Amino acid sequence: MVQDLLNATTLASIYVLFALGMSLVWGTIGILNFAHGSIFMFSAFIAYLVVQQIPLGMPAVIAIAMVSGALIAVAMQYLVFQPIMKKAKNPHAGELQLVIGGIGLSAIPISFAQRSTLSNPFGFSAGTFETQAYTIGGVIITNVMIIILIVGLGLGVGTALWIRNSKKGLALRALGVDPEVSAMMGIDRPKLALATMLYSGALAGLAGALLTYYFNSITSESGDTLLLKAFAIIILGGVGSIFGVILGSFILAFAEFAVLLYTNGSWVTAVSFGLLFLILLIRPQGILGKKEVRRT
Amino acid sequence: MMGWIDQNEFLIGSTLTVFLLAISIQIPLRLGVISFASIGYYAIGGYGTAILMTQYDVSTWTSVVVASMAAAVVATLLGLIISRLNGLYLAMATVSFSLLLSAIAVNGGSVTGGAVGLFGVIGDITIWHTAGIAVVIIFLVSFTERGKLSRRIDATREDSQLASAMGINVTAYRRLSFPISGLIGGLAGALAVNLKTAINPESVNFTLVVLALTIIIIGGQASWIGALAGSLFFVWLPEILVFVGEWEEVVYGTLVVFAAVLVPGGVVGVFNDWRHRRSVARERPKVALLEAAAGESDAELTQSRSGKDG
Amino acid sequence: METSEATKAPTYDYEPVAEARGVAVHYGGIKAVDGVSLGLRPGNISGILGPNGSGKTTLLGALTRMVQLTRGSVWCQGQNYSQVKSDRVITLGISRTFQTVRLLPERTVWDNIILSTDVVFKRQGDKVEGLVKEAIARTGLEGLEKARPDELSYGMQRRVEIARAIAVQPRLLFLDEPTAGMSRKERTDISALMRSLRSEGLTQLIVEHDVGMMVETCDYLYAMNFGSLIAEGTPPVVVRDAAVQEAYLGKHGRHDA
Repeated sequence: MVQDLLNATTLASIYVLFALGMSLVWGTIGILNFAHGSIFMFSAFIAYLVVQQIPLGMPAVIAIAMVSGALIAVAMQYLVFQPIMKKAKNPHAGELQLVIGGIGLSAIPISFAQRSTLSNPFGFSAGTFETQAYTIGGVIITNVMIIILIVGLGLGVGTALWIRNSKKGLALRALGVDPEVSAMMGIDRPKLALATMLYSGALAGLAGALLTYYFNSITSESGDTLLLKAFAIIILGGVGSIFGVILGSFILAFAEFAVLLYTNGSWVTAVSFGLLFLILLIRPQGILGKKEVRRT
Repeated sequence: MMGWIDQNEFLIGSTLTVFLLAISIQIPLRLGVISFASIGYYAIGGYGTAILMTQYDVSTWTSVVVASMAAAVVATLLGLIISRLNGLYLAMATVSFSLLLSAIAVNGGSVTGGAVGLFGVIGDITIWHTAGIAVVIIFLVSFTERGKLSRRIDATREDSQLASAMGINVTAYRRLSFPISGLIGGLAGALAVNLKTAINPESVNFTLVVLALTIIIIGGQASWIGALAGSLFFVWLPEILVFVGEWEEVVYGTLVVFAAVLVPGGVVGVFNDWRHRRSVARERPKVALLEAAAGESDAELTQSRSGKDG
Repeated sequence: METSEATKAPTYDYEPVAEARGVAVHYGGIKAVDGVSLGLRPGNISGILGPNGSGKTTLLGALTRMVQLTRGSVWCQGQNYSQVKSDRVITLGISRTFQTVRLLPERTVWDNIILSTDVVFKRQGDKVEGLVKEAIARTGLEGLEKARPDELSYGMQRRVEIARAIAVQPRLLFLDEPTAGMSRKERTDISALMRSLRSEGLTQLIVEHDVGMMVETCDYLYAMNFGSLIAEGTPPVVVRDAAVQEAYLGKHGRHDA
């Protein structure tokens, strides 16, 4: 039982790392990035390609994945999302183009990875890092789990506090509530958007590397599965709420473990869709979300 | 000609069923509703037909009609229960609806055939039947692309708040799009399962949504012509260019990104813009004269214009 | 409910074309409009003056049912239309323009103007065409019927919006910052158009922060700040009002365009 709780908490921490950047981007600059899953996967994939050539330790692998993620995200923002937002005749038309642009973008890295790995799982086994397991009072915990728990929860809570208390965080929140007002406040929207995407991409890369260490390997399609889970997490917690992401991640991870324990495993994938559908029917603004504030 | 059709029956059939699926997504999209539910309707139509035909020995056409109607009914209910949502929230709800259905397909035991799916769906639908159905649907859809109705549809999509201030009942239009989209999506699934004689969870997953959406974006959101052009393009291109077949996903992804950034109106949009420009080209000098005569141009505009002319 | 509203109803020495009775619009803790009552004089051009964020556009939204009322009610010709859906408001004879240009980009000027006219006058094709032609003539848009909005200057685009609003032959016309961003010449033209519409008996309500234009055009002014009415009366009275000067005219930094 304690083991299950620990495993579920570790899974929740991975979810936090993955969904955090996505939620930040959606809640502030208004882009629901359908390519976030591919950034996640492809950063880990790049790190894998490097590790195949040079046996590196964990810090170097994570650094490569984070830098790759950040670069891919910034490139996407600069080449695709920003031009779409600039051209959009109204926010609504922009919304659809952004979703479509993201879907198109996501197909490209996935296809490259699929062809290069022949759709086989890939991992960092060529690196120097060794997973070690410790048994404490009958509960098994690995060094990877410890890192994931510390990094996931630390970054989750840290980002939430930063957004809530810092000046830059305030600017970001202003962007999320009303782009016009934030422009009047003198906020450089494109620059802040680029910075947000960079952070989000780095987080995706971090999540990609850590998840690969945790499960020993991932596949080209792993990002897509997580993407759909992230939708559920973000909406559960409330779009724009970072504490909501943490809450949503825990709810989803524990719900999935419960389903895994009490039913046939094949329903696990349905948990996220089910939760997502339910929350949208009952409380579309999410558990911690506020109703849209609009003022003229 | 007949020989060519016989040879390519499968590809022609695929084009037509993909076209119907694209229309099913396009109808709500034209009203500003980003809905991924069509994949769910397609699954209901496909699985419904397969179950009725293989497990209950129901005749082909009865199965197709019943399964498509079932999709329309489910779509209507979905439209009602998610009517509070809009924009991306609605999109998310429809994604989860479709994926829930595919989870049901995987876990449906002997009824849905689990991960293997159902096969041996052999009915008496020919390519001519499918083509006939497509023509009827094109005929009906083309009515929504002319005159008053098309204007109201455009307004609902472009600016729903403006549309309702103009007296257009936005909610009613959007709600009505659900059963229509459901019926056509169900029909697409029912015809596709007859064409392929099999259906499995893999064939009704998110990839299919992406394909259909891609088709509409490349072809154009505003017209059935766009959906048809996109379907032809995406079904035949990999056949014609082997290179494209190998790098299918990369080529599609790149095309979609280009379309989203550069030509949001798709091929049809580009064509319409060109036609409009040509038709006003003769009147352009007149327009400029009239504007000048009205003396309305504000200082900045006048400056920029004279700057260009000078 | 009805009776309590009725007892609260203020009496006017004229029959108001439309009325707001104790209207409040709150978003969470933000009180965008907080208890505004006013009755529009028939055949007049009334104006709402106020700095940005004072709640004037929200009040217009409340009067056109585009935003939900938290409290209070809105009335038109003695009928409480607080529960009427926003798409039925135009059939009550209430028409409006918007703060920003809102035209269908892929449609011609003609299509944009006919959009609401053929909804209001169903199955009266000939009449609709006549009304649209008349509105085009009134706003000086002849010859531009086939142009798309992006081929017109900003001032012309705003005229298309006004044409669209008057083509439905409204009883009451709301104009949300009709001259924002226009040149002096354009402002004068629009102001003249509004006065000529008034001479035909069309009641109008303008929301603006350009004091000069308001004083020039309006018969009656309301001043708003922080969601409440702080003064009302004829233009000379309102602009000299101490509260208005304090809230609005005194702070030049707040009423930029």
